[in-house]
Amino acid sequence: MNAKTEKLIVEDINQYLGVHEKKSQLRIITCGSVDDGKSTLLGRLMYESKVLFEDQLEALEADSKKFGTQGDKLDFALLVDGLAAEREQSITIDVAYRFFSTDKRKFIVADTPGHEQYTRNMVTGASTADVAIILCDAREGIVTQTRRHSYIVSLLGIRNVVLAVNKMDLKEYDESVFNKIVDQFSESVKELNIDSVTAIPISALHGDNIVEKSTQTPWFHGTTLLSYLETVNVDENPMQDSPFRMPVQWVNRPNLDFRGFAGTIASGEIHPGDAIRVQPSGKTSSIKQIVSFDGEMDKAIAGQSVTLTLNDEIDISRGDIISTTDQPASSADQFESTIVWMSDDPLLPGRPYLLKIGTKTVSATVTTIKHEVNVDSLEHTAAKQLELNAIAVCNINTDQNIAFDAYEENRETGAFILIDRISNATVGAGMLHFALRRSDNIHMQAVDVDKEKRSELKKQKACVVWLTGLSGSGKSTVANIVEKKLAAMGQHTYLLDGDNVRHGLNKDLGFTDADRVENIRRIGEVARLMVDSGLIVLTAFISPFRSERAVARALVDDGEFLEVFVETPLHIAEQRDPKGLYKKARRGELKNFTGIDSPYEPPEQPEILVDTAAMSAEQAAEKIISELRRKGILS
Amino acid sequence: MSIDQKNSTDLNAARRRAVQLRLAGSTLSDVRAEVGLSTPTIVAAVKAFKAGGWAAVDVKPRGRPRRNASADSELAQARDELMQAFSTAQLTQLWTTKNVADWLKTEKAMAVSQQTAANYLQHWQLLPVNLHREMSDSPSSAAATWLDGEYKDFRLSAKNHTASVLWIGLRTTPDGTSQLYAHTLRGRVLWTHLNSQPVSSDYKQFFSLLQSEFPKGLALVLPNKLLSIEVEKFCAAASDNTLHIVAPTSRSANPSENHIAAIQSNNNVASNTTKRKAVSRTAQRTSVSTSVRPTVNKQLKANHASAVSHVGTGGTTGKAMTQPLPGTRSAANDSQKRKPDIKVANPQQSSTSGLPSAQTGLTHLQRLEAESIQIMREVVAEADNPVMLYSVGKDSAVMMHLARKAFYPANPPFPLLHVDTTWKFQEMYRFRDNIVNELGFELLTHVNAEGVEKSVNPFTHGSALHTDIMKTEALKQALDKYGFDVAIGGARRDEEKSRAKERIFSFRTAQHRWEPKNQRPELWNLYNTRKQPGESIRAFPLSNWNELDIWQYIHLQNIPIVPLYFAAERPVVERDGMLIMVDDDRMPLHEGEVPMMRKVRFRTLGCYPLTGAIESEATTTPEIIQEMLLAKTSERQGRMIDNDTAASMEKKKQEGYF
Repeated sequence: MNAKTEKLIVEDINQYLGVHEKKSQLRIITCGSVDDGKSTLLGRLMYESKVLFEDQLEALEADSKKFGTQGDKLDFALLVDGLAAEREQSITIDVAYRFFSTDKRKFIVADTPGHEQYTRNMVTGASTADVAIILCDAREGIVTQTRRHSYIVSLLGIRNVVLAVNKMDLKEYDESVFNKIVDQFSESVKELNIDSVTAIPISALHGDNIVEKSTQTPWFHGTTLLSYLETVNVDENPMQDSPFRMPVQWVNRPNLDFRGFAGTIASGEIHPGDAIRVQPSGKTSSIKQIVSFDGEMDKAIAGQSVTLTLNDEIDISRGDIISTTDQPASSADQFESTIVWMSDDPLLPGRPYLLKIGTKTVSATVTTIKHEVNVDSLEHTAAKQLELNAIAVCNINTDQNIAFDAYEENRETGAFILIDRISNATVGAGMLHFALRRSDNIHMQAVDVDKEKRSELKKQKACVVWLTGLSGSGKSTVANIVEKKLAAMGQHTYLLDGDNVRHGLNKDLGFTDADRVENIRRIGEVARLMVDSGLIVLTAFISPFRSERAVARALVDDGEFLEVFVETPLHIAEQRDPKGLYKKARRGELKNFTGIDSPYEPPEQPEILVDTAAMSAEQAAEKIISELRRKGILS
Repeated sequence: MSIDQKNSTDLNAARRRAVQLRLAGSTLSDVRAEVGLSTPTIVAAVKAFKAGGWAAVDVKPRGRPRRNASADSELAQARDELMQAFSTAQLTQLWTTKNVADWLKTEKAMAVSQQTAANYLQHWQLLPVNLHREMSDSPSSAAATWLDGEYKDFRLSAKNHTASVLWIGLRTTPDGTSQLYAHTLRGRVLWTHLNSQPVSSDYKQFFSLLQSEFPKGLALVLPNKLLSIEVEKFCAAASDNTLHIVAPTSRSANPSENHIAAIQSNNNVASNTTKRKAVSRTAQRTSVSTSVRPTVNKQLKANHASAVSHVGTGGTTGKAMTQPLPGTRSAANDSQKRKPDIKVANPQQSSTSGLPSAQTGLTHLQRLEAESIQIMREVVAEADNPVMLYSVGKDSAVMMHLARKAFYPANPPFPLLHVDTTWKFQEMYRFRDNIVNELGFELLTHVNAEGVEKSVNPFTHGSALHTDIMKTEALKQALDKYGFDVAIGGARRDEEKSRAKERIFSFRTAQHRWEPKNQRPELWNLYNTRKQPGESIRAFPLSNWNELDIWQYIHLQNIPIVPLYFAAERPVVERDGMLIMVDDDRMPLHEGEVPMMRKVRFRTLGCYPLTGAIESEATTTPEIIQEMLLAKTSERQGRMIDNDTAASMEKKKQEGYF
């Protein structure tokens, strides 16, 4: 707060408020390696913009003496390193949000860690930022992590970047040091999609070129950091000129006479009377009113949270996107995207995750990892699965059509997160590039002879009887007896057996977790087609993971999937060892063997349970048949 | 026992006790019941204390010859019966000095003139202050401008509509009833008494009584914004010829005289809501309403209001914003693989890019508002059983306001939960009950019964234990009791260091613990609200607001807040360097400790024994902002809780403190 501002506050608070009500907002991310001085820089900005109060300064002085690394001087980093554990280790370990204002703007700063394993935090901070400040140490120059941060910044679509060359005081404010670093940086980011880089030599510790121009750098003629942040011409609402999009967040139905669609406008603007299209359903109508607590509005723009009513009664629910009819969003269920993986458990292609885009949550699987990007060298490498902090270009499938735009064109309707179905954790972040096929052009062919017709002909009810259990539990044996019995009863069946399928359809797959997931996915799809043809399908696969069995179940209609848990304790299965595989696995000759060095997740609520330790294969088969009868599959 | 039977020592003791109780916030009727003094005596004693301290409370030697005792008691009885009549009549009729005179004549056989009746009423403290006269006699500069400008226009419009100008007021009488009254420009006064604080239907009834009295039309001058809402409701029910305007100053800084005068001075502009609703009803009335909006804040409000509600038509010139910087964006389109344009020295930059302007997009407050609304809607869309935590403070007030906006025209689809430590300021309880009633929220309150049983209090148990049991534990109990899965809270990231790292959707374990190291990343505005069994969520829609934003928003949107935020004379004692208000008689005074009257206000409100007041002259929102900007201590400094141990908030939060 400068003297002039203070004078205005004292003399005419109303005028001051008038100025400040018109302030805009700028979201910034600061990134750099450990010890580049991010926290110090941020503390300095807060200190210089006088947002600190006396008691905070007192606390800072006390803390500086206790934890400080700057001797008798104030350690500004202590202002922003919040959590107790961090103070002791003196590294920031999570994203923290900081605020300061000047007369021109309000700033929200995401302070993100430079520590290597926390790439995900940086992605988080960058996802909402307008400007990135990339710090580097004048003594170190451009290091691997600087490149990594620059890559993430460009990946997340931040087009305005400040290169703050810090600790210039330790290099005697030498112009050539600064110029060399600028050249290095410019070379290292030339591949990246960054529009504008402004380089500033600073010392966060001494305050050089932060607010006031430093007398130590007479050779530098650019703006100071704060004045850059106050004036940088980011498109503050970059989406104002884009086509109109509003994801429907909540349907407002206080009574039978009112049906409003509440949401935050992602881009563009809307007026009463505008023709709109609801996606993915494609239904059209026009805007009746823009309803708000402050009265009806004659226009609403990107960033506002509004409620729209329509002139027609059409079916709209949460997750749909309202677009204008002239420039609707795309709609598809297969995409190419970039995914940043944020979980300790690797991403496995074929495994279903929840995908949240806008206000819609759908089930999605990564079908192919096209390539992983090495964030340090930017080289493309092949990958079968993605580990924590991996960034990769992947093809992704959703279980239903979703409306979207390319992330490059619209951050709001092109960004998604991936959620693990079991742990509910946010495991990935993604940016959509384009639809792999326009599903607008691929319609499901409606056929006249359908599943019911085919089943009727065979005088049976089609279903999948899915046997799961450890190797050696007797799945194949039991399934074989069941099929013989069904055949004897005149039923039309097909048995999909693990070993047989692996010789043909799935001969390209191995036994890693990723391959097991794909193996089951394919079998699930085949089983679905067979059910559609009216058959009773028996499958006998270890199928060790719950989530994949859940996928297979989801592929067919309710009541058509019967999970049979063929239960046998591991030691009994190992004793039987019909193919000698346990012995091999124990000797270490066979990797990823279920029960030995790869997990088996038993079903929680199987439709049928047979315990082959207590009953013979014949008895087990008989039990399955009688259960099928009981469930009305067999007459 | 009457006063006369007391000797002067007893009497003085009673008077002092009465003052103590009054200062501690007891109602007049409670004090009356306990010490046996009459209302005027109690009021006089308190006045004497304020003027001259404890010594002045004692009665002076009685030099004045006593008046005719029988006449006195006759009059006193008349007063009692009249109050009885007021109370019985309630809203069935309006009283005037004329019908009081008639009443005295028929009921008490006292043939008095209207003037004498007025004198009696005055003497009995049953005649309200004429707000119109008061303002006209000694207008503040803002009031003078208003009287001369907007108010003049208003009177002119009233004349054109043949409507009678009435100055409306509401006060609590010394007897504890609520008196709703209206003064005509000639000084005639009409009133009605209610036994409790008026609710919407009471106002409606009052206005229709006025309407039958002035059938040609009403032009109401209102003391505050809340009443203007009531007028709107009234108008909605009957399409009549009613205008209204809100006067620029609230006459009384003493909240006991005017409970709902929460917003003072130039905030008293009728809300946009009311204006817009009026628009849809009759164009004619609207033109009047709009033209009489006081100018005081026009300039400040115009921008925000129009931008929020219907982005000014000429305002959006997005072109300027999207134009590339010289040599930057245009180059971007040429080639993906190019050397970025690094500007090392570009002194012209600031002039070419120009000052940021919110004219093209949204202001920071509009963005904050939209974000908060989005968060609340997301909670409602994804939670099974959400609740909004309500602390009665200013942040809660902002949240309530945002909730009304988020779900309009529906009511917010969740209840409010007030975790009551039983140690809040009395004024907070009153405000809470009024506002919840006014706005139609469902309020649940929860008190830790176990804590009450063990009479846990901040004095004997210390702030840490008190907060832990009455707040942290109580919150857990309440959430478990009702099975709430998402609790919306008003915490802000700028309040405290550990909060700066907390997510907007912040998860709690089944034991309500916060695990700062195990937080989900929060990207874009995509919130993952999926819970594990037993987990619950705290959602913080105000995460990105700071104290200044909150005040600016309260100012711009005329949001009612507890009057304790505004400076007024209040009894305080100084303890550990903090000014603590003596809010009720549960506060043990240390030896020699005497409550002093100081003009103070509160920057933050919690349990009164733990909340420090600051000396202040600020009685309006802009003045508060002014003081805040020039102040040298941060907000939470006023709370004892943070001073207990270093990193104490982080610890408390891990344990489940909100």
